[in-house]
Amino acid sequence: MPWLKFMAATRSRSGFNMNEIANYIAVDTIEEAAETLAAGPVTVLAGGTDLMLQTEAGTRSYAATLMNIRRVAELRGVGLEDGSLTIGALTTVSDLLADPIIGAHCPILAETADQFASPQIRNMASIGGNICNASPAGDLLVPLIALGAEVALVSKADGALHSRRMPVEEFVIGPGASKLGDTEILTFVHIPSQDGAAGAFRKFGPRPALEIAIAAVAVTGRIEDGKFAHMRVAFGAVAPTPVRGRAVEAALEDKPATDETINAALAATDADISPIDDVRASAWYRRHLIRTLTQEILADVFRA
Amino acid sequence: MMDQIAEQISLIGQRIPKPDGAAKVLGRTQYINDMVLHRMLIGKILRTDRVHARILRLDISKAAALPGVHAVITGDDTPMIGIGVNKDNPPLKSGTVRCIRDEIAAVAAETEAIADQALALIEVEYEDLPAVFDPAEALEDSAPQLHEDKPGNVGLSYNISYGDIAAGEAESDVVLDETYDLHYVTHCCMGPGCVLAEFDAMGKLTIYSQTQYPYNFKMDLAPTLGIHPGDIRVIQPPVGGAFGSKLDVYPFEPICAFLAQKTRRPVKLVFSREEEFIASPTRQPVRAHIRAGAKKDGTLTFRDVNCLLNNGGYTSWGATVPYVMMRTFSGHFRVPNVEFKSTAVYTNNPFAGSFRGYGNVQATYVTATLMDKMAEAVGMNPIAFRLKNAQEPGEVTPQGSLLKDCALADCITIAAEKTDFLKIYAANAKVETGRYRRGIGIATSLHNAGGAKIHKSDGCGTILTMDDYARVTLITGASEIGQGIDAVITQIVAEELGVPMASITIVNDDSAIGPWDVGVHASRTTFIAGNGARRAAIKAKAQILAAASKEANVPAEEMELRGGHVVQSDNGVSIIRLDRLLRAMHFAGEDAELVMVTDYYEPPSEPEGDNHYGDMSAAYAHAAYVAEVEVDTMTGHVRVEKMTVVQDVGRVVNGLGIEGQIEGGIAMSIGYGLTEDLRIEKGIVKNPSFRDYKVATAPEMPEIAYHFIENDTPEGPFGAKGIAELPAIVPAPAIANAVYNAIGVRFDNPPITPEKVARALHGGQDGGDQ
Repeated sequence: MPWLKFMAATRSRSGFNMNEIANYIAVDTIEEAAETLAAGPVTVLAGGTDLMLQTEAGTRSYAATLMNIRRVAELRGVGLEDGSLTIGALTTVSDLLADPIIGAHCPILAETADQFASPQIRNMASIGGNICNASPAGDLLVPLIALGAEVALVSKADGALHSRRMPVEEFVIGPGASKLGDTEILTFVHIPSQDGAAGAFRKFGPRPALEIAIAAVAVTGRIEDGKFAHMRVAFGAVAPTPVRGRAVEAALEDKPATDETINAALAATDADISPIDDVRASAWYRRHLIRTLTQEILADVFRA
Repeated sequence: MMDQIAEQISLIGQRIPKPDGAAKVLGRTQYINDMVLHRMLIGKILRTDRVHARILRLDISKAAALPGVHAVITGDDTPMIGIGVNKDNPPLKSGTVRCIRDEIAAVAAETEAIADQALALIEVEYEDLPAVFDPAEALEDSAPQLHEDKPGNVGLSYNISYGDIAAGEAESDVVLDETYDLHYVTHCCMGPGCVLAEFDAMGKLTIYSQTQYPYNFKMDLAPTLGIHPGDIRVIQPPVGGAFGSKLDVYPFEPICAFLAQKTRRPVKLVFSREEEFIASPTRQPVRAHIRAGAKKDGTLTFRDVNCLLNNGGYTSWGATVPYVMMRTFSGHFRVPNVEFKSTAVYTNNPFAGSFRGYGNVQATYVTATLMDKMAEAVGMNPIAFRLKNAQEPGEVTPQGSLLKDCALADCITIAAEKTDFLKIYAANAKVETGRYRRGIGIATSLHNAGGAKIHKSDGCGTILTMDDYARVTLITGASEIGQGIDAVITQIVAEELGVPMASITIVNDDSAIGPWDVGVHASRTTFIAGNGARRAAIKAKAQILAAASKEANVPAEEMELRGGHVVQSDNGVSIIRLDRLLRAMHFAGEDAELVMVTDYYEPPSEPEGDNHYGDMSAAYAHAAYVAEVEVDTMTGHVRVEKMTVVQDVGRVVNGLGIEGQIEGGIAMSIGYGLTEDLRIEKGIVKNPSFRDYKVATAPEMPEIAYHFIENDTPEGPFGAKGIAELPAIVPAPAIANAVYNAIGVRFDNPPITPEKVARALHGGQDGGDQ
């Protein structure tokens, strides 16, 4: 009885959430999901690791209909075609950590998954949920932006399914905000062929595990003829959304892989980010950490 | 009949699993949270959202009218009789609120959801009053006055003076003048605060409580409820952690009782985690200003300490922690001239309670880092400087603690040898390059280890009975709050009576059954309750052997109890099976007797007199902990790699229990030193969740090496001393000293967070301060 279990789990401090949910629907296909979304206000339940905490804390409320998409089998798993990856939205963070295709073709995602929350949360949290949650500190968003990943968004109107694609970098627009339409469901994440590019992800929080990043960095690219090439950089927890490090990329691209270039890139980090002071860290410390983590990746991974 | 019963291996020092462990691991333990009584209602508390304000209007009519709500109460319905150390905290506030955790109304309803809904319907209007958050500012004449009867906002003061500070200073070659700012942390019990109250038809209260002092709890709870302490029965289901947080009556407990009284139904009240962070007592924050001196040869000359304690809005045990702090400042190492002054000052912050280690966590952070600073100032290494000032066995501290089996020098020497301290210390200090730097640091402390006579009695009652099958029921006043006393008492009784541990049942969860005990605090339970249990068992043994002597015509002194038999002491041959003897004693017509003995153990200690002088504990213990750390000079992250523990424990009773206590203490102290920080800004708790309040997790635990000093303290049960608080006291300053060894920076404002380290090394300018 998953419904009953859910009732118990949502018995919250404010006590109201349970009452707000008028309908519960567990869909089996993308089309059913899109139809349900078209019919009216829906809260989508995937892993629930953010949804539960946010509704419990009262920062988010349920729509009249709660739609469980976890039975949509086609949304879970990793596919490979011509070097490009397609990852179902329900693929869990633990799946990313264990998946052999990810390990072989996109190890930066496995590296990120390994630093994500705790094993229990990794078992439940989905890649689609982590993207839609659009947290400034969302771990997976950072490498996905560096990888040039796109999300597929599906809706149903006039009796037909419509799909559009958009870079992750454009999809997230603010803390908790994305371009996901009210009637849309995020179905797949597409990652273009990395063609042998290197990549690395680093995050820092005061604890070595079970930690929200106070700064995170992902870099992809390669060294060609002693020069940085095809460099893509992304930063997390230092702006309203995870951001692309375009100034750093420009400082690296086609430049010799030397300390001088790296130092120039580190100097450029400030232009890419706009950190704030909060209870977790000061802006100064976040800037310092971004330089530290970027230096670590460029020096240790790319020149190793 | 000629069975020879093999000599038993002593149970003392064995590794005995906690008897309550399996049920907890399997999720079968029933906490108060799990309890459901017939007709039970759910209670909820409305707290203010102001730090200092006058309540202009409090309208409960909509809440009271909500279907499913059985009672809504405010301070107008309940007596303004305060609880806590200064009796300044009425359970429900009327008129004025003084801190963010203030309780202003409470409801009892059919369900939690209805109770929450009712709270949301209560309307409150306030007039904000000027507020003060810093204890120094609160002492100024212009500061808002928080309590009419506490002029100048002074809550409590403690002062001692021994020797002559000026003379001490005059003979000093080095004088240090240092100020420490010691922060707020909180207990983080896994089980949040909860209580279940029920009145019977005769008006007597049964309260299911997490308290760790059930007997005086009745005394403290009764006045505010307006009932007789004798009409309160305290039942103590298993608790999910206490660590000192349950050593006082807190407002939610009488509030729950008021709701039960008003509705004539059982009422249960459970904190949310957020409430637990906001409305539980904290560790006492302390601003400590210390001046201290030494001669060139390393001899300490004086310590002059002034402490300001942020008392918050009301007074619980936090304000009394100087009682323990002063023993460390005056008595840890030989200090001929000591002055200690402390003032707890009311502010509009939340307030502190007792917390494992009491003031010694704060005092040891100061003294142990100051000893390192002083060693450097006089040009001695940290080991030699400490040994120079370590007391010898038999010395008496200025406040009168008799250090009869003082192992301080042994602790320091062993710690230094086991870790190759001086070599590593010197090598680390030379390294000035590289991203990752290693450091080693030592800290020591002293704590009461044979109870603490802060009440009229420091005793513990014990009742021991045996049934017809030689099963033992041991009723002790000492509560089990996770510290492991059930296992220890079982070992002690089994050891004395020669019966299997499985045949012993411990009863200690009901004040209507158990005899008085002062409470679980001050590292006292193994020592006091262990002595009580042992003395009761010895009395039972005497009764049994006297009966056996009559039965078998063998002198009692030639027999002993072993393996469930009465045996001949010299050859171990069974004289009679114990259960048979007990039945023979029981069914003996006119001479019938049951084994039912009682004991009240009062330790040979004395309460403090003038100038806080007195030998207040029956034993004292020292410990030296060595921390080895690695500091990431870029991120500022400090990783504790190894903790070497050298502790005078008198005698190990339960090997598993003692290691568990030490591991838990180290985790807590790593939190204090490195990660935990309850951020209170302008009276508001900024991080009331485990997401932003960082307790140490498994990866942060270092390798631990244990070295126990076992000298069998004369008064201890089988020689044991109390051990539980030193592990939560000593690690943090050892880590701070190790960080200094690694990077040459002192942090007198724990926790030593990565950001603080990074700022110290890289000079952060912009942004908010940490």
